Amino acid sequence: MTAPNDLPSLSRREFLALSATTAGLAALGLTACADNHVEIDVDAVTNADHSTDVLVIGGGMAGLFAAVKAHDAGAATLIVSKGRLGSSGLTPFAKGFFVFDPATEPGSIDDFVAAVSRSALGTNNPVYTRQLAEHSLERARELRQWGYFDQTLANRPFMRPIDERKIPLLERVVITHLIKEGGRIAGAAGFRLDAEATITIRAKSVILCTGAGGFKPSGFPVCDLTHDGTVIAYEIGAKVTGKEWNDGHSTRSNNPAACYDNWGDMFGRIPSTNGVEVHHDLGMDINYRAYVMGNPVEGGPGSAQPTKAVVGGPYVPEEFQRSGPPAGGPPGQKGGAPGGPPSGKGKGGAPGGPPPGFAASANVGGASAGMAIHKSEGLVPTNDRCASNIPGLYAAGDALGSHMAGGIYTQIGSSLAGSAVQGAIAGEAAAEYARSVTAPSISAARIAEVKNEILAPLRREAGYGPAWVTHTLQGVMIPNFVLYIKKASMMQAALAYVEELRDHHAPMLRAANMHELRLAFETRNMILSAEMKLRASLMRTESRCSHYRLDYPDVDDDNWRAWINIYRGNDGVMRLEKQPFDAWPEQA
Amino acid sequence: MKLTARTHAIIAALAVFIGLPLLFYALGHVPRRSVLKESISILTLLAFSMMLGQYFLARSNETLLSLFKPPQVQKVHKYIAYTAVCVILIHPFLVVLPRHFEAGVKPWDAFVTMLTTFDSLGILLGLTAWLLLLVLTTTAYFRGRLIPRFTQRYRGWRYFHGGLAVTFTVLALWHSIELGRHTDIAMSAFFVTLALIGFALLARHYWGAPAKKPRTDPVSAGASI
Amino acid sequence: MTIKSIHGCIGCKECVKSCPCDVIRMEHGKAVIAYPADCQICHLCRMYCPVDAIEMAPEKSIPVVLPWG
Repeated sequence: MTAPNDLPSLSRREFLALSATTAGLAALGLTACADNHVEIDVDAVTNADHSTDVLVIGGGMAGLFAAVKAHDAGAATLIVSKGRLGSSGLTPFAKGFFVFDPATEPGSIDDFVAAVSRSALGTNNPVYTRQLAEHSLERARELRQWGYFDQTLANRPFMRPIDERKIPLLERVVITHLIKEGGRIAGAAGFRLDAEATITIRAKSVILCTGAGGFKPSGFPVCDLTHDGTVIAYEIGAKVTGKEWNDGHSTRSNNPAACYDNWGDMFGRIPSTNGVEVHHDLGMDINYRAYVMGNPVEGGPGSAQPTKAVVGGPYVPEEFQRSGPPAGGPPGQKGGAPGGPPSGKGKGGAPGGPPPGFAASANVGGASAGMAIHKSEGLVPTNDRCASNIPGLYAAGDALGSHMAGGIYTQIGSSLAGSAVQGAIAGEAAAEYARSVTAPSISAARIAEVKNEILAPLRREAGYGPAWVTHTLQGVMIPNFVLYIKKASMMQAALAYVEELRDHHAPMLRAANMHELRLAFETRNMILSAEMKLRASLMRTESRCSHYRLDYPDVDDDNWRAWINIYRGNDGVMRLEKQPFDAWPEQA
Repeated sequence: MKLTARTHAIIAALAVFIGLPLLFYALGHVPRRSVLKESISILTLLAFSMMLGQYFLARSNETLLSLFKPPQVQKVHKYIAYTAVCVILIHPFLVVLPRHFEAGVKPWDAFVTMLTTFDSLGILLGLTAWLLLLVLTTTAYFRGRLIPRFTQRYRGWRYFHGGLAVTFTVLALWHSIELGRHTDIAMSAFFVTLALIGFALLARHYWGAPAKKPRTDPVSAGASI
Repeated sequence: MTIKSIHGCIGCKECVKSCPCDVIRMEHGKAVIAYPADCQICHLCRMYCPVDAIEMAPEKSIPVVLPWG
């Protein structure tokens, strides 16, 4: 049931507010269009060629298990990561790991899946919700064995199984391209941050463990994630889902970008496990309160409880309503943390009130702007083993739109556990697939073409600075009346901006060195993700879970018991289609 | 008057070897951390300053010998040396110790990372200096048994001990300037000046004016340089 | 300021590797704050540093875009 969504061209009248946001950018010292003073000899950039059975892209929780399980299933496995294993993406900051332990849980797995489905208003894929509960205990056991629950930093415990198995690892490599040959995955390409070199990797199977992404927002440690996996997979024809959902973390108005400080002692905590605790954590409600009543918002971390009730706003099922916002805690109190911060009370709970040295201050939202609910956005799974619609291409964790928790953060700690569980399943599935196919061949011409595309921003004699384009995109997408409190006119207005950036600025991004080259690709990816978010949000003409529209405030079960899939049409235009809840996508 | 001169000498020594490093520490533009971390920094700085002070608490310092009896100087030399050496030998552990009380890398992991950073000149210098200091201290402790084995007896030991001390000082100083958190220009210049004066005193003592015959039996009185 | 200062660097590169946003680079064997505008103030560099050489500040070096003010 494909329904390409042709959007009407917009009236730009409502743009004044958005324009005001971007007006101050000239003062940022972020030069917009200027000569590109390239610091390296682009023609001397070398290319390193690798080959493997299974290529794991990403070095977080999902990537770890994908690599370990693919290797243990007999596949030659290679990990490539933009950062360091266990020290990039959201993994380093997630401290709660959900475990369903039948020995201690009063309810059954069926009860758990049913509770998640009730809270998620049907948006969850129960197959993946169940899988999480079934495998979490075993994944936690392995992590414990590697020392993960003994200390704050994940790199050393993550390296243990990788070293033991001698799995090759390429760190600080930015992947910019997936390569498809003969209708199936053939490898990936990118470049090194620490050397003037591109990298091409031929692989029988690729697992995207690239995490989620945002618009490099302030106050949430997601600035290195820019939906890279989603975008490069979209470009070779993969279907993407869940872009209309919103993670709603807030931060403090004093030093809003200070992630570490604003999260209290959370980043310094040693990870721990927790049992069943199903919520309906919106994060949208504080945005709604700010939108309706203005700033400062009552009820921020460490501040007094709100006294005035606010009328309307996102729907919360009665079973999951709380009596007022919970007591102070880290800004992650609402909407769940990466991996879900434990709630304010109970084991592993965050301390109440602001962290030491921080006075209670007003709350501002958008800390994770651009990110959807964990596990709800990413590649559309075509089965219960993390496969995408591209043969040989798999995804796990936040790169897979498994809708494990639904379009709302439901089970505390499920994000981290879900990444581990899905990584392991994808690893085994990819290894099995790799056994069934021959090694792919990629022509020299194709490799040369990809290398040229990678280096293009370095070759531009003039162009737009990625920092400026990113800042402009933030000015368009971060205000709470665009992606949090949604309405058609404003989203269409924002879409006009985003299309401009997509068509005119993304092709003219410049880079003077490898760091800026990374920023250029990240910026390109964020622009495309912004377009996806706006189009999906426009298409879903109802409110449900973390998607809230002022012009369609009610849940519409007649028309919208469906997910939205996004794919690139043969004409290169972004297409959207509905996929009913509880159904797998139709395979071409 | 003798007592006053002695008091002056002691006050001057304390001012130079404790007062000045504390002053340069206080004037430095390095952000302050926890009490434990700052105490460890100060302790290490003072220990190094004291080690440099050993050049002045020796037979080479004729001014001092005119004020104090050699056995007194030797005794102080010995006690200060053993104390300072202990601090300097354990300072690599002290650097990582505070990690035990806070979130972050575990102390042992930090220690291994630190000691295996072989592409750092500062670390290589530090490792070598640490080993030299261990040899310097062990041989000083067992000097009674070692001195008879030198062909030139006490004179041979003196060259050995002094030579080792100078080599250690050069390496340790370089190491501290390379890596030290508090060794800014002022602190570095201070340490270098102390070291150069110390070396000059020693050189003059060894090769300058003809040495007087030892007034006491070196073995029974303990060693000095 | 983001990362405020690095004092007493031993050149082990732990911070360069563990920075998610590629803020720190090596120069003459020492870690330097190369791209402060990209710092997300997550403190991973500080927590991975074996000699505790890194000081952090809570201020971002470029203006931040917030959803409301």
